[in-house]
Amino acid sequence: MTTIDVDWTRCDAHGLCSRLLPEKVSLDEWGFPVVDGREVEPGLVKAARQAALACPALALRVQSS
Amino acid sequence: MTVLADHPTASVASIGEPRLLAGVAEHGRVDHTQHLRLHGTPVLRRRSWLATALEDVNLLGRGGAAFPVAAKLAAMPAGSHVSVLLNGSEGEPASRKDRTLMTYAPHLVIDGAIVAAHALDTRRITIVVHDATAHDSLVRACDERTDAGDVRVVRTHDGFVGGEIRAVVNGLNGDRAVPPGRRVLPHEHGVDRRPTFASNVETFAHVALLARLGTSGYARVGATTEPGTSLLTLIGDTSHHGVFEVPNGTPLSVLLPPSPAPVLIGGYHGVWVRSAGQLVLDRAALRAAGSPLGAGVIARPHAGTCVVSEVVRVAQWLASESAGQCGPCFFGLPALADDLAALAAGAGPERADAALRRLALVRGRGACSHPDGSALFIGSALETLAPELAIHQHHGTCGLPPSTVLPLPKGLS
Repeated sequence: MTTIDVDWTRCDAHGLCSRLLPEKVSLDEWGFPVVDGREVEPGLVKAARQAALACPALALRVQSS
Repeated sequence: MTVLADHPTASVASIGEPRLLAGVAEHGRVDHTQHLRLHGTPVLRRRSWLATALEDVNLLGRGGAAFPVAAKLAAMPAGSHVSVLLNGSEGEPASRKDRTLMTYAPHLVIDGAIVAAHALDTRRITIVVHDATAHDSLVRACDERTDAGDVRVVRTHDGFVGGEIRAVVNGLNGDRAVPPGRRVLPHEHGVDRRPTFASNVETFAHVALLARLGTSGYARVGATTEPGTSLLTLIGDTSHHGVFEVPNGTPLSVLLPPSPAPVLIGGYHGVWVRSAGQLVLDRAALRAAGSPLGAGVIARPHAGTCVVSEVVRVAQWLASESAGQCGPCFFGLPALADDLAALAAGAGPERADAALRRLALVRGRGACSHPDGSALFIGSALETLAPELAIHQHHGTCGLPPSTVLPLPKGLS
């Protein structure tokens, strides 16, 4: 199972995650990510990893177990 | 706003024989001579004995999370490198029980620390405390006895969020006293980044009593599901004011004479309920009923006063206490406080809907429990105080004098 976690102490609401992974991440009224369900569907795992790498604050974590 | 007197001796009392607060009504501060007469020297038990006893009496942490202490102990390695950490920072502004315990019965707290350290085969003990009088009493207590040479008493200056155990650990280690973003627990990375057995100061006083009395002696008082007593802070229209030692299992109605006013259970991360009803002092049962006991604060405004105005003020304070690390808390709590203020001034149901949407955006989206606890306080106020809010919506006010029972730290209004 692959999951997305946000380190809220790092997140600065850049919003790149939502642009790169709109299927899973929307933004709240302040620009912070709202992740739709923690589990990432197999077809989106690669995009999720790219979104995590692109985060300027290194706040997004994609973990597989 | 009410600022509770910091050390109201007259307001320390109990139902039945006090245990933690034994001797306090007679002597005030229990010094070492009186402590030895009441409790003797600490009874040092082996780790295996303590683990079984903690499980048998179902001792739950007294800082607010009510985590089973036996499980905390089981997760600990032993040896001279590990630490024992007593959290007496008591960041919850409505709570007085920890500073009261440390001020009046410091030796019982120290006994518990020594028992825990012995079981873990270490001598490293740290007590963190915010309140000046409690700090001085603990330091004096360490000087009064010969077995507390290794106890370090540290004064902290951090607020509500800074009192969370992981924030305390960061502060002790020389970092900023805020909760870490990653899931780091004290039993892995605690004091000096080493495994640390950490709990609230009242927890340790119970550990001392348990080691002395044994399981059956300890369980002679309290509920079968949760033996022993608890320290509560009672505020406002309650049967007693101040710090109260109560046997677990006591019906909350005993503490709350009949009144139409709502009740706040658990403090500023707690829950508003319309009445105590059939609730009893049992942490698991209260949690199951949706109103966890938290750090043991039970407050009730006086009938005929405006609760809504007080809820607004506490919500504004909760917003101001965000450590500013996590966006949803930093932006969400002020927005929610504004929503509540607008509803108090007569805003329509669309504003209540906005507040409900924002509550969902705050919950579970932070490094610590501050956003979740604050959402619990605000969300339960919106639900439980619906009749009061309806009056505000129609008239822009309820015309009642503001309730002034919920304390906020000095200098805030």
